[in-house]
This record gives sequence, C-alpha cells and structure tokens, in this order.
Amino acid sequence: MTNETSKVIPIQPVSYSRSRQAGESQDVLDHIIDDFQDNPESMQYFYDLFRSVYCHGDEIKHEGMLVGTTCIQAPEELIYAFGATPMRLCNGSYHYDQKGAEFMPSKSCSLVKATLGMLNSDNVIPKIGKPDMIVNPTTCDQKKKSSSMMGDMGYKVYDLEFPNVKESEASRQYWQRSVRQFATELRQLTGRKLTKKGLQAAFNKTGRAQAAFRKLHSYRLLSPSIILGKDIFLVTNAYFFDDITRWTEKVEALNVELEARKQAGFKAVQSKAPRVLFTGSPPIFPNLKLPLLIEEAGGVVVADESCSANRMLYDMTAVDEWMVNDMVDSLADKYLKPCTCPIFTKNEDRKRRLLDLVKSFDADGVVYQAFSGCQVYEMEYRSVAEAFNQAGIPMLYVETDYSPDDKGQLSTRIEAFLESMKNRKKQKQRALG
Amino acid sequence: MTNLEHIRTAVNNVQFNRFRFWLQIFFFALLVYGGYLGIELGKHLPTFACGYNKELRGGMCFLMPLQHWMEWPWEKLFSAAALTILYGFAIFFLWFIALNRGWCGFACPVGTIQDWITSLRRWTGIRYSRYSEGQYKGLGIIKWVLLALMFLIPLGIGGGWFTHDLKSPFCMICPGRTVVPLFGLDVSQWSIDFSSRTNMIMTSLGLLVTGLFFIGAFVKKRFFCFYCPMGALHYLFSKAALLRLNKEGAKCTRCGDCYRVCDLQIKEIADDIQNKNIMTDDCIMCLKCVAACPEPGALKATFAGIPIFEATEAGFIKRMNKGRTDDK
Repeated sequence: MTNETSKVIPIQPVSYSRSRQAGESQDVLDHIIDDFQDNPESMQYFYDLFRSVYCHGDEIKHEGMLVGTTCIQAPEELIYAFGATPMRLCNGSYHYDQKGAEFMPSKSCSLVKATLGMLNSDNVIPKIGKPDMIVNPTTCDQKKKSSSMMGDMGYKVYDLEFPNVKESEASRQYWQRSVRQFATELRQLTGRKLTKKGLQAAFNKTGRAQAAFRKLHSYRLLSPSIILGKDIFLVTNAYFFDDITRWTEKVEALNVELEARKQAGFKAVQSKAPRVLFTGSPPIFPNLKLPLLIEEAGGVVVADESCSANRMLYDMTAVDEWMVNDMVDSLADKYLKPCTCPIFTKNEDRKRRLLDLVKSFDADGVVYQAFSGCQVYEMEYRSVAEAFNQAGIPMLYVETDYSPDDKGQLSTRIEAFLESMKNRKKQKQRALG
Repeated sequence: MTNLEHIRTAVNNVQFNRFRFWLQIFFFALLVYGGYLGIELGKHLPTFACGYNKELRGGMCFLMPLQHWMEWPWEKLFSAAALTILYGFAIFFLWFIALNRGWCGFACPVGTIQDWITSLRRWTGIRYSRYSEGQYKGLGIIKWVLLALMFLIPLGIGGGWFTHDLKSPFCMICPGRTVVPLFGLDVSQWSIDFSSRTNMIMTSLGLLVTGLFFIGAFVKKRFFCFYCPMGALHYLFSKAALLRLNKEGAKCTRCGDCYRVCDLQIKEIADDIQNKNIMTDDCIMCLKCVAACPEPGALKATFAGIPIFEATEAGFIKRMNKGRTDDK
C-alpha cells in the first residue's frame, strides 16, 4: 500500500523474526522453556524446532506433493501412500486469528479464524509452501463453511464428506465410501496408484509414530508426574508439520529418557500437585495459554482429550486382511468409530472416555476449554459437567479464545480451582488416614 | 515379575492368528484322522467331527446320534429308554461347557476348512464380502429354523408322519457329510441317491449346499457358521460354559477394531458396553476380537472366571505391526 507517508519515509520491510507475530511465539516458547526447571534433554529438539519454524520463519521441507488437512479426520496414511505429505493447517496464532476475523462472524472459533487468516496471508507461518490440495473434512459448521473461503483464496479444496452420526452402520458405510473417494481424488492429484506396498509403508510410518506416542502417554500414568503437559502438547503439536519419521525417532528418544527418569524415581512436580485432565478445544502452539497457566500455578496436565494431542494419535487401526481394500476400510473405521469429537449427535463415548481417563490417570480434576464461538464444545458442556458431577469429579469450564487479554482473570480462576483440588486431596487423605 | 505374570504377558503378546492356525490343524488332525491312532472320543462331540468320515474319525458329531434318537417311535422316546438320550446329552454338555463355542472357532473341521478357503481367497487378492444390515438380520434366523427342523422332522418320522428316508435330515444337507470324508479320499457321499424320491431330493439338496458352501466360503468369511444349527444349539447352553468372552464396557473406546476383524460381522462386540458376557448367537469364539483390541483388559477370554487371554496394548502393537521400522 502506498500512501502519502510512505512516500516521504520509506517503510523498510521488517524481517519475520522481528515481527510481532514471531514475538508472540517467542514469548510462549521462552515461557515454556525458561519458566520451568528440569526440562527433559530430549525436549531440546522440539524447542529448537518450534524456534526455527515459528520464531525464525524457517522453511519446512517435505517430500512429494503437499496436502494440507484442516482436521484430524483426514486419513493421513492415504496421503503418505500416494507419496505426498500431509500437513495439518489448524493454527494457534493470535496474529492470524485477528487477520482471519474478516471471514467469520465476530463470535466464531479462534482456531478456524486463525487457519483462514494464515492461509490468506502472504507469508504463511509455518512456512510450508502452497499446498497442492487442502482436504477439508465436513465436520463442524465453521470448518464446513471455510471450504469455499479457502477455495476463493485460490486453494484447491477437497471436501471430505464426514457423517454427523457415528453409531449407525449406514454412516459407517457412507464414510468408507467417502474415504475411497478421497483415494481416487489423491490418485488424480498425484498421478500415482494406490499400491499395497505403498499403503503398508504408510501404515508402518503412522503405526510406529502411534506406538511411540502410546508409550509416551503411558509415562504420564506415573504419579508424581515425570513430564509436564506443556511439553507433551509441544510434542504432539510438532506432529502437525514435522517429518513423521524424524518426529517418531525424537519421541522414542524422549521415551528412553523418561524410562531413565522413571527408574531414578524422578519427580517433575511436587507429590501434592493436583493432576489435571484437559479436555475440549485443542491447544495449538502458540496458544498453549491454558495448559501453561495450569502448570505455572502448580498443577500438572496428566492427560488430555483434545484433537491436538491424544485424540490425534491414540486410536490405532486394526487390519484383518492386509490388502488394499481392507486396509482402506480399516482406516475409515479408525477415523470415525473411536472419534469423540463433539460434532456428532451423541456424546456418550466422549463422556465415557473422559471418565476412564480420570480414573486411569488418577486425575484430581478436569479443565474444559471451549473456544468462544465453538458451539459444539459449548453445547456439550452441560452434559459433560453433569457426568463429572455425578462421578464427584470437579471440573472447571473455561470459555476463552486466542487473545492474551483474559490471562490475568484466568490465572486467578485456575489458581482457585487448583487450590480447591488440593484441599479435596488433603481431606480425602485425612479421611483415609 | 513373578513366573505367572511372565506367562500371562507371553500369552497376551502371542501372534494369535498363527497360534490359532496351528491349534486348528491339531484339532483337525485329531478329529478327522484320530482313528488312525486309535483315538475315539465318543459320539457326543459338540462339533462337526463328521460320522460319515468312517474309520478315520477320532470322534463323532453329536447331531448324528441326536437325530437318530429323535427318530425313535414315540412309545420308545417317552419311555425309560429315553435315559440313553439324557445320558448322551449329559456327555455332550460336559464336552461343550469346557470350550463353549471355542469348539466352533478352534476345533470344528468344517470351520477350519472354511478358514483355509479364506486363506486361498486372500492369496488370490480377492476381497471378502459382507452382508448388509438387513440381510444380516434376516438370514440370521436360518440357523434357528434349521435347529427346529432338525428336531421336528425326526420327531415326525417317529410319529409316523414322514417317511424313513427323511432320516438324519440335517446330516443330508450338511456340508460336513460331503467335505470332511474327502480328507480320507472318500467321495462316496458325492452322489445322488435315486432309490426314492425323498432320497433323491435330499442328496441333491446336499450337493447343492456343498456347492454353496464352497462358493460362500470363498467370498464370505466363515460363511456356513452363520447358518449352523450346531452353533444355535451351543448358544442355548453357552451361559453355563467355562470358557467365556467378557467385555469391560468402561474400558472400551468403541473404536470398532474388534468388529473390523470379526468373521461373523457381529456389531455388538464393538457397540455393546453394558453386557459383560458379550457372546451373541453368531459368535464362534475365535477370539480374533480379543487379539485385535488395543484397550488393555477391555476384552478377555476367561476360563472358569480366570482370565486366560486378554487384550493388551503391547500385544496389539505387536500383532498389528505398529512398532515396525521401515527398512528402505
């Protein structure tokens, strides 16, 4: 834009690393690293990765064609099988949230706005390059409506049709057809064929990554915790864009270190630190506001039910016959049946999963994050709160967005919540002892 | 870890399909060729150890004597002689409660042959078919109809309403009669008996079912088991059996992995989170679902209340090749 002022004083283009956007990431990263003691050494890779990608704006390299995904419901194994690389586009930056505000009504999900804002900007961070295709599963309304907006920005968008009901056999078959259709689309895009070998290799890639994740997940069962939730979120967030094989190796290295910590009886937190289960709208870097507030206040996030971490990596495919058809169908099943996304008509499975997580991870309470404008999570609040109430588990419901403005107020609420959990714990122990 | 825990871990991590393959071969050899070794397990086996496989068999399918007894004249059937039947039934029951429908999933020669046909199909690269939900519900009744007829027709013979040529009506249409003796190089059952109209119809029906059996088993996993009246009979007593298939609903994520691998397309195995005893009338207790379950303890096989094979994360990861490194 040229106006009168810039004619007089030419505005120098500022390098990305000095921009406000990079500053946002820089702040959060410094916070994650410097405000906590005893960070695992193997986390250094992830800290460096985020610094390079988000703070310096370094380019992310990938193999073959690039397929952007706007949701975990897009079967990434298929994308790998066609020699392309999937890249999750869901964005967590406040900078892009503001940029994307023009596309959506004022009270809409920050995540969707930020993703649109990112895709609409000239300098996309993470610097992945222009996707050859964006696959947009038709999940919540806001993501659905983003489809045409992304199309208008000049992206090639594929709507992956996703059912609203998951219990019925009809929806299962509809979704299986949908996934097969997606395979056909990928074949046209890449000009390659879907082979048993290619698909098997893709299964091995994600299977090994998932096995590593499950192992990592299992270390969180330990009480007192040996790793903090902020690090786990960083690790799973890296899965969005990092090379999958390298990611897996780094997680395996982290697991080795955690095993050593376990043997040594290491404690990352005090024994009485309240253990928190995190659920709801996904924390995506740099918006790790809520998990960080919890852990700064002396709590520890021991498990989560969110699509930027546990839900993305936990559930695994089972194949009966290792042939292309059965493998594709099993993929479809994996991406539909265990999903606890609130976009479905019923949420029994989500409630059961949450209660099971509380039990197995020995959580003292639950923090439920709902992004303002994420209607489905807001609507499920009532029934989830009721389920926890019945089970006698305290829950804090937090409606927030990417803006840092409510940090002070949230910090007070979280501290009070953690304090009440500590008291409950004490009372329980007294009653027992 | 104690020794017992070591054993438990080893069992739960087993390459289940391979284990089952060899166990099936063992049972097949025992029931189809056991006679060679002088093995005789009696005439009350709750599985298709076909009696038409004459000298070689190591035991006999209970349905054969059962139909014979039902054909007795009614005076005899309702006299003290019926004690023989009760005795026979008691033996059948004792055999049955040991393995429950594990007899179907592991021991039944006809079931094993179907699994071999499935392997053949897999080798050709052809995919399997499934019934639609409607077909599944409708066709599921057939085994109960066959079971009812298996009692009613012989009773009718005893009552003098039907001709004696209708004897052992189920055996006549059972694919076991034609297929199992083949393993003793006996093809005598592969013929149509023209001695009477009834015989002609029954033997023709038998060959027709045999044809259906081969085609069906090729395109559909465990095709015949879905219609098997022995399975239906089992189900009536399954609550008393020692071997059980249990599910802990709270641990289930309803991921559907068990339903995926189920040869009998049983949706309840994934969706039902209320019932602990998860066995349905179609279940053949092959335990493939337990092997394919990634949630620790969600599915388990128990014997007399003691868990013997349990879903574990490590077992799942191993069996489904999850931890595999790709060698370039």
